[in-house]
This record gives sequence, structure tokens and C-alpha cells, in this order.
Amino acid sequence: MTVEVLAGLSRPIIMGVLLGGLYALIALGLSIVFGVMKLINVAHGDLMIFGAYFAYALMTTWGIDPILSLTMGIPLWFGLGFAIQKYVMSRAFGISMEAPLIIAFGISLILQSLTQIIWSPYSRGLEAPYALGGISLGITSVPKTYLLSFIAALVVMLVLREFLRRSYLGKAIVAASQDKRGAELVGINTGRVYAFAFAIAMATAAIAGVFFGLTFPFTPTSGVGFLVIAFGVIIIGGLGSMLGTFIGGIVLGLTQTLSGYFLGAAAQMLFVYLIVFVVLAVRPQGMFGR
Amino acid sequence: MLPVVLVAVLAIFPIIGTPRVWLLYLFLFFVYLTMANMWNLLAGYSGLTFLGPGALIGLAGYTLVIVTWNDLPFYLGIIGGGIVAAAFAALIAVPTFRMRGIYFAIGTLVVPEALRYVFYLWKPVGGEMQGGGAGYMIKGIGGLSLTEFYWLALAIGIVSIFLMRIILRSKLGLGLAAIHDSDRAAASSGVDVFRLKLYAFVIAAFVTGAAGAIFYIYQGYIAPVSAFNIRWLMICLLATVIGGIGTEEGPIVGTIIVVFLHFLLARYGALSLLIQGVILVVIMLLVPEGIVGLVRRKTRNYQSLLQLATRR
Repeated sequence: MTVEVLAGLSRPIIMGVLLGGLYALIALGLSIVFGVMKLINVAHGDLMIFGAYFAYALMTTWGIDPILSLTMGIPLWFGLGFAIQKYVMSRAFGISMEAPLIIAFGISLILQSLTQIIWSPYSRGLEAPYALGGISLGITSVPKTYLLSFIAALVVMLVLREFLRRSYLGKAIVAASQDKRGAELVGINTGRVYAFAFAIAMATAAIAGVFFGLTFPFTPTSGVGFLVIAFGVIIIGGLGSMLGTFIGGIVLGLTQTLSGYFLGAAAQMLFVYLIVFVVLAVRPQGMFGR
Repeated sequence: MLPVVLVAVLAIFPIIGTPRVWLLYLFLFFVYLTMANMWNLLAGYSGLTFLGPGALIGLAGYTLVIVTWNDLPFYLGIIGGGIVAAAFAALIAVPTFRMRGIYFAIGTLVVPEALRYVFYLWKPVGGEMQGGGAGYMIKGIGGLSLTEFYWLALAIGIVSIFLMRIILRSKLGLGLAAIHDSDRAAASSGVDVFRLKLYAFVIAAFVTGAAGAIFYIYQGYIAPVSAFNIRWLMICLLATVIGGIGTEEGPIVGTIIVVFLHFLLARYGALSLLIQGVILVVIMLLVPEGIVGLVRRKTRNYQSLLQLATRR
């Protein structure tokens, strides 16, 4: 009896962990911007979806493989992020507390309508021959896209973690996030550091967009729901920690698949949002935050 | 005297044969104005960047469904919608007011997303075939025409304007101003921060909910996707920011522009949103105080110039 229950549970658990990887991948960029600039970039989800559409355009017009198209997507999004921070957001920070939030909202609105104008509101998906079908993971078989997303999330997380720890720019980003004035006093150009942090966040959004597009069908307005999920991930994981974000993603992924298993597919998202709300109310600094 | 004349003129519009399209846009204007006014009360005056007006509007809409499906008159649905929205606001005030600044904003952004799934699952009235993702028709409004909808919207719009005037000139308004500037300083000088914020939140929720119910009486149909939608936030945000956040006239000016844009760009759905987004960013960057704030600053400069000139 118990063996059967455990065997039944193994699938939602494995799926939850893998799905959590995708959630973490979406959340990593949001986490960097939030940690460094204390800005909730509400356009993050839309920038990710825009990335998915970009890969879709390359795939349908020239038949370029979605993952391969990231060689163009990452630099483009990096530049886009740098420009947004340098020319728009940096000015917004000087205006008022709400100004950056409202401007991010405006950018989100612009991106949603732009994708809708260019690619119509219909649902799209990314395809790659190696990502089709399932793969057996011992006890259960999972879609290959889930596994790919999880691996991508793990790689991006580890790269970011090492980058923030070892490189000069990474250390400067961490310094600016801990104490802006202090960082400026020791000669860090925080304006530049912010721009780079935003650019890096956008590059991860491009990556997340491609793996999201491989896993799920998307529409121009898909970003909003996943923004909330990504925010939940960083709230659970705690600020600024890449590893924490990764764990937060897995916690939310497991919450979703397990509540789907026990309460039915329709209830799973409700449960995810409920968890996010409760954590926000009880421990806004995050489960692993200080 | 002028406001009375203006209201009287607006009130007789449907009788004197004004084109239906005009009435429709005026209807939307008053509904949106009410929501924007209440959002301004929260975000502009109480320091509550509330990102979940869709939650209140959707709940009020579904209350209207429950009331009218139980063969009760629609106006009970409007009042009930307001009461349910206000009760819900009081309920979420306890956990969300613990969140500060940006956390409050995001916490309230989650609320409509979660409620949407509640109404996918929960079918308060009707059989298996109705409700859920398919939504509900509003019953018992067959005898109403655009004229009645229009008057309802006009009434709530005027109520919202007067309410803002009264609140801002009351002790509550004074306390809120103190909280908006610095909640710690306000608390240390004896202002009960939680209670005043709660009052503002509940009042705003009641009026927003009632306006939402009036909108759904006109719409005649409600579904989770459109009810708990971020679109409501965009309307409130655009109208308030374009007009001038934290100014009394701001939402009026802003809503005129938003509704005019809807009218102008009605045929181009996505393009309309794109233009609104661009306007939002540009206004926020160049004139963060909004049109009303800008005009006020300019006239103040002009007046002081005038004073200088006359003194000499």
C-alpha cells in the first residue's frame, strides 16, 4: 500500500523539482534586479515572453534552433537591459519611490501590446527535435523539456553565483546591493553597476524565455502570471542569494505539482499564490533571508 | 454654482437624445473616474501602492451575480458588491499592511491572481454548466437601458469626487497626509497608522466595488479572466498618473484622457495599449507630477511673476 502511494508520489515530486528549475530560471534575473536596486521589475515576465517570441521569429523565418538562437538573443537582451537601466530607470529612481515601479509597468504594457501587434494574440510554442517526447528517469518518465529547463537553470545559477563571487564586476554588484553609499565611497560607479546588473538580468530573461517557450505554449500576456510566480520564488528563497532562489523555485514547483496531485489540477495555481501571499505576510525577508 | 449646472447638464444628457456612443463613453468615464479617484486616495494620499483593484472589482461583480441569481434586485447587488469588497479589504489589510512599500505592492498584485483561480473552481450559483471559466450572465437587468446605467455611473462618479473632498479636509485626510510623508513620524506623533490606513482602504474598496458592480450591470456578463484582470489596475494607474498622482483634480483630467484614448483608438486594440504604455512612461519621466501638477507649477510661477511685477 505505502509502496504504491510512494510510487504515485514519485512522479509529482520529480516533476515538481524539474518545474521548480524553470521557475528559478525565470526568477534569477528578477532576483538580481530586486537585490541590487530594490526594484520589482514588473516587466520581467514580459521581457521573458518577448525573448520567447524572438526565438520563435528566428525559428519560423530561418529555422534556427531556439537554444542556438540565444547566441543572438542573449547579447540583444543584454544591450536592451543596459539601455533600459541607463536611459529610463536610472532617471526614474531620482523621481520618487513609486516612479520606477510605474515605469516598469509602462514597459510591461508596451511589450505586451508590441508582441500582440507583431505576433497576434494566438498561442505559440517553440520546438526542437531533441526536446520532443519524454525521457525515463528511473521510476517515472518526464518530458525532455522539463529536464532541459532544469539543467539550464542549474547552469545559469552556478555561473551567476561564481560570477558574483569571483569577478570584479560581480563583487561590485554585490557591494552596491549591500550598501550603495559605501560602494560609491570605495570608488564603484554604482550607475554603471546598476546598468550591468539590469543587463545581466535581461540576458537571463532571454534564456528563461527560450526554455519556457520550449516547455509551455505562450501568449503575449503569459508574462504576468509568471512574474507573480517568479516573485514568489525570490520571496521564498530570500534576497540576493542565487542558491536561495534556486531552492525557492523548487519549493514552489513542488507546491504546485503536489497540490495538483492531491487537490486536482485546477487548485494547484491557487495554492501556489496562497503560499506566496502567506510567506509575504509572515516572512517578507524570505524563508532563508536574515 | 458651476458644478451644480454641470451635473444638471450631464444628468439630462440621456433625455435630450444624446448619441448612444457618447453616453457609453461618458458611462465609462464616470466608472473609471470613480476607480481612479479611489486608487488616488490609496496610492496618492495614503502611501498604499495598491496593485489589486481587480480583486475588489471582480469580487463586487461576482456578488452582483449571486444577488441577481437569487432574484434580488440589482441595486442590492451594487450595495452588496461594495460591502463584500470593503469586507475583503478589511480582511487582507491585516496581512498586507505588515508588508512595507514594495512588498505591499507585490502582495496586493498576487491577490487578484489568486482570486481568479478561486472563481475558476467555485461556482456560487447555477448548475454545472455555468460559472467557472465560462463565467455568468447577470440576471434581472432586462428592464434597464443605457440611460439607467448612465445615471448610476454619474451618481457614483459624483459621490467619489465629493468623498475625496470630504476625506481630504477631515481629520482622516490630515492623518493620511502625515502617513504619506512619513509613517514613522506620524506614528510617533500619535497617529494610529494602521487604523487610518484601514479606514482609507475600506472606504476606497467599498466605492471601487460599487463602481465595479455598476460596470458589470452594464456589461451583463462576468468571467474570471476579465474580472480579476490587471487591466483595472492599468486604468486606475494611467488615469491617476497622467492627471497627477496625489492631486484632487488629477484623476478627473487623467480619466478624460484615458477615455478619449479608448474612443480614439477603439479599433486598434493592441496599438491603443502600446500608446497608453508609452504615455505612461513618458509622463512619469518628464512630468512625474502629472498634468495637474504641471499646470499648478506653471501658474504658480506665473502668479509669482505677476506679483513681482505688480509690486514694482
